[in-house]
Amino acid sequence: MLAALTGAGVDYILVGGAAAIAHGSARLTQDVDIVYARAAVNLSKLVKALGPHTPYLRGAPPGLPFQFDEQTLRRGLNFMLTTSLGDIDLLGEITGGGGYEDLLPDSVVLEVFGLHCRGLSLDRLIEVKRAAGRPKDLEAIAELEAIREEQ
Amino acid sequence: MRPEDQDPIIEAYKRGIDRTLIRENLKRTVTERFEQAMALQRFAEELKRAGRKARKTQKDA
Repeated sequence: MLAALTGAGVDYILVGGAAAIAHGSARLTQDVDIVYARAAVNLSKLVKALGPHTPYLRGAPPGLPFQFDEQTLRRGLNFMLTTSLGDIDLLGEITGGGGYEDLLPDSVVLEVFGLHCRGLSLDRLIEVKRAAGRPKDLEAIAELEAIREEQ
Repeated sequence: MRPEDQDPIIEAYKRGIDRTLIRENLKRTVTERFEQAMALQRFAEELKRAGRKARKTQKDA
């Protein structure tokens, strides 16, 4: 997944459980969450990166006329997708964090499988999870704070 | 973290965190952390598959 995104030159920041793993979390995650830049050129890169991997709306009944193209991305903001590479959430904005440009100063460069990609910093990840205020995040926040204390 | 910034609910959850797993992960590179997570994910998928098969066998018997 990351190879497809990075290979196509997509501007994105890894957030959520995958970013937590990068920082040392031992919790499993079922999908990859990214905040992507909304610039037109980046939407084209996203389509180029994921288009060949049969993206489809996760949980939606089969047969919907879903087209993964620039127009669809422009008209929407957040997309929960299943692909042949795995599940991915494309987030135009996140609660308490805003969009790609807002989060960029609080991102760090991660080296994963020889690729360089951006992930949200540990401190910012804790902030946005707190801002989201979801009960399911409480244990994740506790673990992230424990990671910060152990560093 | 300053005591006034601490959330009592988060602090309660923190007491249940296995810090030995965190310490081991912090010794790893980012790539190794992802490899570990992916291996665990594969293991979880295999366990789910085995569970489905066992339930079906039990039902069919």
